[in-house]
Amino acid sequence: MLGSVESTSARFVETRHSALLKAPLVLRGTLAYRRPDRVEKHVLTPYDERITVAGGRVTFENRTHSRRKTIAVSGAPGLAALIESIRATRAGDLPALERYYALQIEGSRERWTLTLKPLDSQIADYVVSLELSGSGVRIGKVTIEETSGDRSVMEISEQPG
Amino acid sequence: MTMPQRAAFAAWLVLVALCVGWLYRNLSIGTDLTVFLPPSTTSAQRIVVSQLRDGVASRLMLIALEGEGTPALAQASRELVRQLKASGRFGLVNNGDLTSADKERELLAAYRYLLSPAVTAERFTVAGLSAALKESLALLASPAGPFMRKILPFDPTGESRHIVEFLVPDAGPELRHGVWFSRDGTRALLIAETRAAGFDIDGQAQAIKAIREALQATEASNVRLLLSGPGVFASEARATIESEAQWLSAAAMGLVLLILLAVYRAPGPLAFCVLPVATGMIAGIAAVSWVFGPVHGITLGFGATLVGEAADYASFAYIQAARGERLADTLARIGPTLRLAVFTTIFGASAMALSSFQGLAQLGLLTIVGVGAAGLVTRWVLPAITPANAVSRKVYGLPFDAPRAVAVVRRGSWIAVISVAAALGVVAWHHDRLWDDDLANLSPLSEAAKSLDRSLRAELGAPDVRYLVIARGKDRETALEASEAAGAWLREAVGRGWIAGYDVPSNYLPSGKTQQSRRVALPDAATLAGNLKLALRDSPFREGLFPPFLEAVERARTGPLLTMEGLRGSAFELKVNAMLFPADDGWAALAPVRGVSRPDELAAAARAAGHELLDLKMESNNLVNSYRDESLRLIALGLFCIALLLAWGLRSLVEATRVLAPVLAAVVLDVAILLLWGKRLSLFNLVALLLVVGIGLNYALFFNRPATDPDDRQRTLLSLVVCGGTTLAAFGCLAFSQTPVLHAIGVTVTLGAVLSFMTSAVLSTRESRHAGT
Repeated sequence: MLGSVESTSARFVETRHSALLKAPLVLRGTLAYRRPDRVEKHVLTPYDERITVAGGRVTFENRTHSRRKTIAVSGAPGLAALIESIRATRAGDLPALERYYALQIEGSRERWTLTLKPLDSQIADYVVSLELSGSGVRIGKVTIEETSGDRSVMEISEQPG
Repeated sequence: MTMPQRAAFAAWLVLVALCVGWLYRNLSIGTDLTVFLPPSTTSAQRIVVSQLRDGVASRLMLIALEGEGTPALAQASRELVRQLKASGRFGLVNNGDLTSADKERELLAAYRYLLSPAVTAERFTVAGLSAALKESLALLASPAGPFMRKILPFDPTGESRHIVEFLVPDAGPELRHGVWFSRDGTRALLIAETRAAGFDIDGQAQAIKAIREALQATEASNVRLLLSGPGVFASEARATIESEAQWLSAAAMGLVLLILLAVYRAPGPLAFCVLPVATGMIAGIAAVSWVFGPVHGITLGFGATLVGEAADYASFAYIQAARGERLADTLARIGPTLRLAVFTTIFGASAMALSSFQGLAQLGLLTIVGVGAAGLVTRWVLPAITPANAVSRKVYGLPFDAPRAVAVVRRGSWIAVISVAAALGVVAWHHDRLWDDDLANLSPLSEAAKSLDRSLRAELGAPDVRYLVIARGKDRETALEASEAAGAWLREAVGRGWIAGYDVPSNYLPSGKTQQSRRVALPDAATLAGNLKLALRDSPFREGLFPPFLEAVERARTGPLLTMEGLRGSAFELKVNAMLFPADDGWAALAPVRGVSRPDELAAAARAAGHELLDLKMESNNLVNSYRDESLRLIALGLFCIALLLAWGLRSLVEATRVLAPVLAAVVLDVAILLLWGKRLSLFNLVALLLVVGIGLNYALFFNRPATDPDDRQRTLLSLVVCGGTTLAAFGCLAFSQTPVLHAIGVTVTLGAVLSFMTSAVLSTRESRHAGT
């Protein structure tokens, strides 16, 4: 189903709820995916930051602070798991998802919900679950519940073309 | 027994008793391969050798667990780390699990403001804090957020992050269930650094035992353990050498005895045949132990091969005895030839004994003393103790007309000449690919062990350290300052893509000066609280979150500097000790460099900074080369002495040439065959060729010895065949060794013995004056 997507580009609005913050932080930007393994999350406001995952490496590029850093995905498993949830769902890469998560799918093709629970005990210390929902080949919403009680909700609206 | 015989016998008894007594009290066997390295002349070479002996790389053990599911392996990995840390044999055990690195995390937490290179006065102003908070906010909102959240109130400026960034190499293995795993998830990976130095094989063996026992204690019975690393290799090599030396010399001894039994057709003479060899071994080992201390395992293995050479002396004597002839008379008859045979071997070995390499010098001394003692025992002790009819049942000639066979073979002398010419051509053709310069090829490793090591190293991201930067200072503090200076230009080198990464001791223990300047940069509590309050005004972070941060800065500002004592018991202590040490009336800081792509630029940058770039591989190859050049000079000297000795002993230049030529021809043929076989010559091949010269000269001398009658001729040829057979048996066994050194010697000598037997038969045999009678 999702595996047929070659490349997509979408806008997102992510709301980060955290006990550390006075008010929820709202990020806006674009999310791009290209087969087979490139995911780019480009935050446009309130700051400019581009996070690119390709070929087992994550690059953080923050233009506001003019900082750039590349790390290997393998050295940061939590990061890898979170990024993999988006990438693998986009790529329809079920085996990759099953490596990190216990999967639970509900609903219909038109309106589905995929719940991911981390298998790795170390990641489970930080993340309770990820909930992806959507319709057809589109992911509409990603909710991450953390053990700290913090939460982030990303709403994705597909761009045509 | 005559009076002189009695004296000889008594002297022999005393000698053997003394040697056995000495060995009983003093014998210790070493396996430190570095005694086969030359004494280092330059300071850089001394550092190379010390790194090979007990540098970090030499203490590293690579551990893999496999054979179970991922969760079970992760569990076993954690358990193993706990056990190994408790064992006290390891300074560092790492499976990638940060939660187990308590001591190190404590240090980072307590000293982060003195360790972090990002600490400057600007960072703690309103503007600096404001920027840091914005950065932290972006991190909190990034996919890394859930993992950063807990530490944020303690460290909003991200100093722990900065430190970890330069302490932890980027290309680590994958983490699963919080510990390192191979990419395919089938192996849990760990590294451990032994407290025992790399050359301390006993310590390494105990560390390996500790790992095996620790794994058993985890009750993960299905988990298989894979081990690699220099210490593992060394202790396995010792086990291999010891067990091989035992069964190979047993096999060689067995075969030699069988051949002799077939000739003497009685077991009695065998006991006498063994005496010269046994005496030679005991005297030789005692001499080496007396002069050098520990006797190297390889010296012993080589010593076992004396079986082949010295057993010949007794054979020449007994087999050449005519019917009813007293052994003393036989020996008087063949004495001059035997004496030349013994002396030529001793002269050849003297070249080795003069070598500045302890390993070779040990071999040389063992051969000189061993062969000398065996010769003396054959000449003086055997006649004294051999009963009159001891060898009366022996075979007196070959089952065919041997002199005739030799005469036939001699007609093929032109084949020998052409072969030697062709062989010279082969050697000339290969002249630029003659030598094996790689020190690594001297290590007695199986291909399986090497490939396991390669795969574990690749997966752990722990490549062999080849390049080191040395920065010097007059004391520890100035060496640390030099290390910081090196760190500065190495960071630039990383930026330019010349190298992938580096490590410097000052990362773990910055110099007092640097720590002091970072401490001075920290504002007092009131100023910092004020600045933070202002910075937080426009920030989405809540107020009142950061008291842990304010307290930490105040503690660092008023607390002590980090010292070597502060690092005690942590993995950092081991790191610093390995990379920072006294050297040449000063201190040296070493910086291992990974992934070097532009060595020339790097060397130039090092020189410009007043530091030194050391290429361990090149330095060690240079060591080997200089070793080889020296050996070649000594061998040439040895050959010259042998030639003089022959000319003097045979009273004729022509005769000397006749004896020496076939041996040199055999050496050339031997080398050519090895080269055509695709081998390159190592030091041990050279040593073996020296032995070929010794053995070959024995054959040539006896082939060349004038015969008194046809029976004498028959007996001489029989003795030559028997001696050739025993040599073949002894060195043929050695050729089956798994230890490259012993294998090389075995193959070279076996080939050389066969070749020199043939060339001597063809070239040294005199025109028989009795042919027609």
